[in-house]
Amino acid sequence: MTAPDAQIDVELRQRVVQAMSAVLKRLVDRDEPISEDMNMADELGVSSSLGLELLLEVEEQVGIQIDVEKMRPDELRTVGELATFIAGHSRPW
Amino acid sequence: MQRQYDEQKPRHHNIVAHIDGHRNDVVGSRSVTALDAVSVYTPAFRVPIEDLADPLELTDIQVRLFRRFHGLDQIRFDPDRSLADLLHAAADGLTALRGREHRVRYVIHGRGMPVVVPYPHNPLHDVCRELGLEHALTFTVTQQSCASGLLAIDLAGRLLAGDPADDALALVLTGEKAFTRDARLLPGTSIFGEGASACLVSANGSRDRLLSYACSQRGEFDTEFGERAEKFQREYRSSLAEVIHRAVGDAGLALDDIRLVLPHNVNVVTWQRLCLLIDFPVRRVLLSNVPANGHLFCTDAFANYQTARELGLLSEGDRYLVATVGAGAGATFAAMVFEH
Repeated sequence: MTAPDAQIDVELRQRVVQAMSAVLKRLVDRDEPISEDMNMADELGVSSSLGLELLLEVEEQVGIQIDVEKMRPDELRTVGELATFIAGHSRPW
Repeated sequence: MQRQYDEQKPRHHNIVAHIDGHRNDVVGSRSVTALDAVSVYTPAFRVPIEDLADPLELTDIQVRLFRRFHGLDQIRFDPDRSLADLLHAAADGLTALRGREHRVRYVIHGRGMPVVVPYPHNPLHDVCRELGLEHALTFTVTQQSCASGLLAIDLAGRLLAGDPADDALALVLTGEKAFTRDARLLPGTSIFGEGASACLVSANGSRDRLLSYACSQRGEFDTEFGERAEKFQREYRSSLAEVIHRAVGDAGLALDDIRLVLPHNVNVVTWQRLCLLIDFPVRRVLLSNVPANGHLFCTDAFANYQTARELGLLSEGDRYLVATVGAGAGATFAAMVFEH
């Protein structure tokens, strides 16, 4: 479930996208750029356990705590969808 | 007569089997499988997960993941007790057994590890002798890994339903040692601890009555040899949700009728996400033993039952659901509904 765009902190979302991109490149060992429309499972090979590692590193890099209780991984397929969710469901660490 | 099946380790490749059971599933029987009494032994000794990094060869980020998302904090161990000691400690707390030993016709050990001691040692037989239960038919089930505890309850009920003695009882034991790295760690998922339970089962009790049992054996999810691990991970929650819905439906109930879920303590995030999937409030899933115990193999269900009783979370007439997943040579998803 992603939050309505109106409630999203655009600046926070941008920082999340940058952190996700850097972490994903390392986790999946990829040199090419990562775009927001990429499917994390099918195109990047992110498993659910790798997904948790991604969340942890994004939390630590951005300085937030993500509300994982409300996260429906099946509905957050792309990099952009997950970034929107994180920006709408997190609080400062 | 005593019989032991420890050496059996079947392979279930490409087999999907569904088992449904309920209280009147034996033709002509009026029996109601019931848990007459439950005793749990959990060691007082606990280790913070950070202290397990070296022995389990965990990286710093793996430890932080276990703490942040999986909800693990401390893991219980009992370095001074053998498997037989663990089982005996649990049985010692089963006061309802005393004076009724002669009525116990079956002793079933449900555990995850197929082999736990070198031949010809047999801790289960040792415990039975010490408890005065050497007359009982005694065997072990491991085929469903961590779901073998529920299988043992189902088997106990079926055996009692077919037993000519109306007052026959069965003793279901769970418990094992986390004695190797493989036995202690489910990579990226959970850390196992040690504990044991003893449960007295009758065919006509009124205490905690078994209303339904749903079980799905998925041979294609062979995590033991790394095959299909990704598919197993992807379909884990939906497969568990399926047996939960089936057990609730077979009990003639809706999910809203379930007062409490007693989960397997694999981790917190799995249950948070499962609750979103089945639209069930996570506050009604007893997760407090995940940080306190770790994953106690087949014992989680009984340890959580005991905690629910201690916290007064179950009232007379409440329906509750026990759910678990066993992973190894094939995976098993299982759920039972009881009436307290």
